[in-house]
Amino acid sequence: MASDSVIEIRGLTKTYGAGRKATLALSQLDLTVKRGEIFGYLGPNGAGKTTTIRLLLDLIRPSAGSAKIFGLDIRADSVEIHRRIGFLPGELNLWEGRTGEQIINYVASVRGDSRGIVKHADELAERLDLDTSKRVRDLSSGNKRKLGLVISMMHSPELLILDEPTGGLDPLVQQTFHEMMDEYRAKGKTVFLSSHVLSEVQAICDRVGILRDGEVKAVESVDKITTVDFHWVDVVFRDSLPAGLPQQLERISTITDVSTNGARVRMRMVGDFDPLLRAISNGYVEMLHIEEPSLEEIFLAFYSGDEEPAK
Amino acid sequence: MSGSVFVETLKTTWKQMLYWGVGLSAMGLLVVIMVPLFNMQDMANLLQSFPPVILAMIGVGQDLEVFTTNEGFVAIGFFGKSALIFAVYPVVMGMRITANEEDKGTMDILLSLPVERARVIVEKFLAYGVSCVGVVILIYLGLHLGVILGGVELNAARLLEVTFYLIPLMVFIMAATMLIAVLARRRAVALGIVTAFVIGSYMLQTIGLAAEGTVAEPIGAVSFLTYYNAGEILAQGFIWPHIAGFAVLSGAMLLASLYRYERRDIGI
Repeated sequence: MASDSVIEIRGLTKTYGAGRKATLALSQLDLTVKRGEIFGYLGPNGAGKTTTIRLLLDLIRPSAGSAKIFGLDIRADSVEIHRRIGFLPGELNLWEGRTGEQIINYVASVRGDSRGIVKHADELAERLDLDTSKRVRDLSSGNKRKLGLVISMMHSPELLILDEPTGGLDPLVQQTFHEMMDEYRAKGKTVFLSSHVLSEVQAICDRVGILRDGEVKAVESVDKITTVDFHWVDVVFRDSLPAGLPQQLERISTITDVSTNGARVRMRMVGDFDPLLRAISNGYVEMLHIEEPSLEEIFLAFYSGDEEPAK
Repeated sequence: MSGSVFVETLKTTWKQMLYWGVGLSAMGLLVVIMVPLFNMQDMANLLQSFPPVILAMIGVGQDLEVFTTNEGFVAIGFFGKSALIFAVYPVVMGMRITANEEDKGTMDILLSLPVERARVIVEKFLAYGVSCVGVVILIYLGLHLGVILGGVELNAARLLEVTFYLIPLMVFIMAATMLIAVLARRRAVALGIVTAFVIGSYMLQTIGLAAEGTVAEPIGAVSFLTYYNAGEILAQGFIWPHIAGFAVLSGAMLLASLYRYERRDIGI
């Protein structure tokens, strides 16, 4: 294993069930995550992101292939690996009848060296504005998520594995979370973060792996993914569409998929907005709506074929 | 750190232990207090008039001699009648070892920490075992209080033996529940199988007792409840081979659970 690799996955495969009911959740996954990077693991729901994470944590066992974290085997050395990682599950379930403080103490006692860990947990809780005196069952989903983040980070792990970390967090806390990730990167620590929200990955990550139907289709830098970014644009005119507008739009090379509905025109656009703004300047624009593409659309735009990026 | 799962399990269980212990000890206290209200010979005569199947349903065989005593009355009125109730607590605790935590998803958090699966199972098993002992101690205290309040003459040593004989029984049921949960994976399925196991054992014991002296009598030997016979314990004291049997089977089921849990996926 290369010395700068924290996670190295080779041919990892997971099949659930057997015989005719067998479902392939992950197929021949090869992936390397380098030390000190924030790696985004992108894919639509059901793509296999959580399966990958649960395999890495030794919660489920691979049907084939292997993986190493810190050069240690995920099965044989799971306890040593778990000592050095923090984990936040996508679907966070905590002990409902216990308070945040009790759970922090429990997790800290299992980890050992509880005094230092609990002190850091208190600092994190304060930073995230989390009241740890409440029982889990009385916490909102956002506050449960905050508690999950505290538990995953309180021992300052070398590697953070986060499954959809910001789901349910309000924008201010999301901002704090992004700052925390920047600090992790600055300290040379590694983060493996799964998400289906492109904007989040763009904001935090250095590289991304795109997963689809249990297979990694691409591993690219975030910058490269961003360059193939496009938008869906809706323009609503006050009275009716200016005469000949659809034909005019179709002649613009950066605009495709033009459709109209009454006084509304919708299109897919890449690059600068100027040609569009010039084209619609003949009408009275009542509303202009710019929509971020879905992850699936980005994927299809980036890889129209099996391997070659769409230009 | 070693022991932290054990300590946490006890912290989250002591209230249930207290509620179950107090409830069952109140039942026992009530039965003991009622002893002076009955003439035991009349009771034995009454029991003799019952058909074997009715006697079997309250955990009594056809040898009624022991039941002409105060101890015998307590054996029927409390230990015999409550066999199924005693089984509920260890089933609940056995389900908590893996099934409940997997069902709720908290096992993912626990096993993402630096702790072996085997250690989680062993520490939880020991903690719930301790809680079973706690319940039995509370039951004994209730019976003992009944003796004092009712001024009842009971052989204290035999009362202690018949009560503490519940411990290997409860640990056995807990171990069986844990193993079934580890094998079945899904909580609802495991609970269904455990319920069938306990009720099925009760029915087999009943058939065995009702059929004493017939070819059907050996059927009762299949039921684990047959090896907790309060009347027999009151007459003979601890039946060590039975206790050893419960202990060996419980240990074997613990090992089987560890083996299987180490090799299977969590929470699928």
